[in-house]
Amino acid sequence: MKSCLKPFWVVCLAAVGALMGAGRPAQSGEIRVVTTLTDLADLARAIGGSFVTVRSLATGVEDTHGVPMKPSFVPGMNKADLLILVGFDCEHAFLPALLEASKNPAIQKGHAGYVDCAKGIVPAEVPKSTDHSEGDVHPYGNPHYMLDPVRARQAVQTITEALIAKAPEHEADFKKNRDAYLVKLDAKIAEWKEKLKPLKGLKFVSYHGHWFYFAERFEMVYYGTIELKPGIDPTARHIENLVTSMKADRVPIVVREPQFPEKVPALIAEQAGAKLIKLPIMPGGVPKTDTYLEMMDYIVQSFVDAAPKK
Amino acid sequence: MRHMPLSGVVGGFVISLVGTGFAQEKNPPVGEEKKAEAGQGTEDGLPRKLSDDVKTLIEEEVQRRVKEALQAAKPQAEAPQDKKLQELDEKINQVIEDQKKVRPSEFNPAIGLVGETIFSYETRGTNQTGNARPGGFDVFLRSVELNVAASVDPFFRGYAVINGSADAATGETLWGIEEAALVSTSLPWNLTLQAGRFFAEFGRLGYIHDHELPFVNRPLPLDQYIGGESRTDGLQLNWLVPVDHYISVTAGVGDGVGSPPNNPGAKRGLNELNFWGRTSTYFDVTDDWQLETGVSGLTNPRTEDRGGALLAPNGITTLTERKRQLVGVDLKVSYVPLQNNQFSGLTWGSELLYSHNRYLVDPNGTPFDGDEFERSNGAYGLYSYLTYKWDRQWSAGFLYERMEDAQDHRDVTAAYSPYITWATSHWNQIRLQFTHTYREPISGNKSDNAIYIQWAWIIGAHSHGWQQR
Repeated sequence: MKSCLKPFWVVCLAAVGALMGAGRPAQSGEIRVVTTLTDLADLARAIGGSFVTVRSLATGVEDTHGVPMKPSFVPGMNKADLLILVGFDCEHAFLPALLEASKNPAIQKGHAGYVDCAKGIVPAEVPKSTDHSEGDVHPYGNPHYMLDPVRARQAVQTITEALIAKAPEHEADFKKNRDAYLVKLDAKIAEWKEKLKPLKGLKFVSYHGHWFYFAERFEMVYYGTIELKPGIDPTARHIENLVTSMKADRVPIVVREPQFPEKVPALIAEQAGAKLIKLPIMPGGVPKTDTYLEMMDYIVQSFVDAAPKK
Repeated sequence: MRHMPLSGVVGGFVISLVGTGFAQEKNPPVGEEKKAEAGQGTEDGLPRKLSDDVKTLIEEEVQRRVKEALQAAKPQAEAPQDKKLQELDEKINQVIEDQKKVRPSEFNPAIGLVGETIFSYETRGTNQTGNARPGGFDVFLRSVELNVAASVDPFFRGYAVINGSADAATGETLWGIEEAALVSTSLPWNLTLQAGRFFAEFGRLGYIHDHELPFVNRPLPLDQYIGGESRTDGLQLNWLVPVDHYISVTAGVGDGVGSPPNNPGAKRGLNELNFWGRTSTYFDVTDDWQLETGVSGLTNPRTEDRGGALLAPNGITTLTERKRQLVGVDLKVSYVPLQNNQFSGLTWGSELLYSHNRYLVDPNGTPFDGDEFERSNGAYGLYSYLTYKWDRQWSAGFLYERMEDAQDHRDVTAAYSPYITWATSHWNQIRLQFTHTYREPISGNKSDNAIYIQWAWIIGAHSHGWQQR
């Protein structure tokens, strides 16, 4: 018996002992922030400045609902002071298990370190039923509000408040950074509105229902999704019906988010006589969209370029 | 604010009324003024030169009429707006009151249900394969699992898995508590304590429910060396090592890991319980490639009648387990592309186990006749599988299993199984699998082929579907 199990225990203890001292201590006073998605990481960096270290679980190319659950996320979450998330159950497929594995009471739901940016956002498309016959619905409403820059202002405020609560000694710095960011954001919002004014009433479809808030803000018509239901791939009949109605209603643009294969959106665009554009849903989704402002610039310009010229 | 319109109306009315009265008195129209000056009667015959008494009477009359007007004007002016405000107030108060109420259902735990049916065809019957299910055509409800979970208090959450499965002989559903445990949520020092009935953390797939496996059946070595799923009644402590690299350490103690309780009905010492441990770690090879590995150990230092006397293939000799030991090393290499992991992926998972048990052998099966002796048996078992996912709905793979019998290492069973899975959604999947099983003649059983169709589905709250394992 001893000959069988002794090596096992030796290996376990040796491995643990060797790695016990390998942890890198955080710099004194540094607020350790983990965000689920890259847009929130960009905002946290802009507001927190030199007082924060920020790590996003997503790199930007992932599905907002399908960030791979890597155990390598766990040590960072274990030491985090703040966890900033989109909320409205956007991260339901990966965050609960990671939160449990993190064993960090400070960032669990209900604690001050759990920063839900959906706070103060009025959700749209709240489902009447959460039955799975409607697909993988979000019970609290459409969580993709960050694609509306006006609603993103609320996230800026929520993050600022969380940072101030964590480090009140830096309140003036955080407020200064927030104000500076909002000045830039507001100028950009005015610019984007101006650019998209000629596109008022423009119809478009996308793979997943990411674009409700964006379309509403810029007065476009969000015509429908390629997915049959949230999280459910389209059937042949759904594609056929979509193409037919797109032709009849002259829908000129098909949006493909980076995490979805190109084949089906390209087919629909071709058959409906529409233009296919690939748009990020968070910073880093496509090249040269490292920040939230760059991403929104890219999205707005892509719509302008793709829209039919009058 | 709310009375501004009313005061305005009333004020305006008073001013106009009084003003009119005084104007009539003090500022008569030009024509009438001339008539009055002439001291002549008017058309109605009333004198226009007013005495003080008359003035007083007029003032009193004006005040009376103002009072009446105020009384009359007040409800008329309030009615349109105040009524609406009042209704609005009532509605708001109703909403607030409704929010104060807690519906009884809000205390209910999250509830989910998993169903799994197996359709199969096996070329040989139970008497030739030793399988629990009959050969030929077979359809059975392998499991229905009711999962309930909720927080118990700020320090623990609780969950239970109640399982029902069809009995091979009668077809009736046999129900059992598969898991029912508490899990701590706020222990310090990165610790989590689990207590109750649960699946002990041993190996890679040992503590995974059957319906969550990437193939139809539990790998042979897990089925025999552990005894199926690693169910135990016990206590388990998990520690996340506080370093920047992910390392998880688990240790536990319990009664009967994956097997019946040890020495039932007698006084048991501590060494008659099962003890297990596991250390696992993880590496990001690249952004898209992952590597997970772990080592596990399980021992039951002294067993007494665990599972009763086992009959050897010769049908006469019996073996009674006296010690149980099991170690394993596991590895998973997976390709999980960041960008479209819902649509493509690759997983290679393997586990090597070594079972080392001590038995009391009774050659003639007659207890206490003096011919019993003890002997040990070391047996290796492994399984390795590769699953490729090329679509959100489709994946396929190949499983290889090999196992030396835990009682006699010369008795080898090996199997290979190609399988393909169609997942119509996160919560519904159908799997087709072919399995060829090779059995050594020493086992007394024969090799066979089988085709399985596994249909599994999930309904209910907090069900996120199957993970890529």
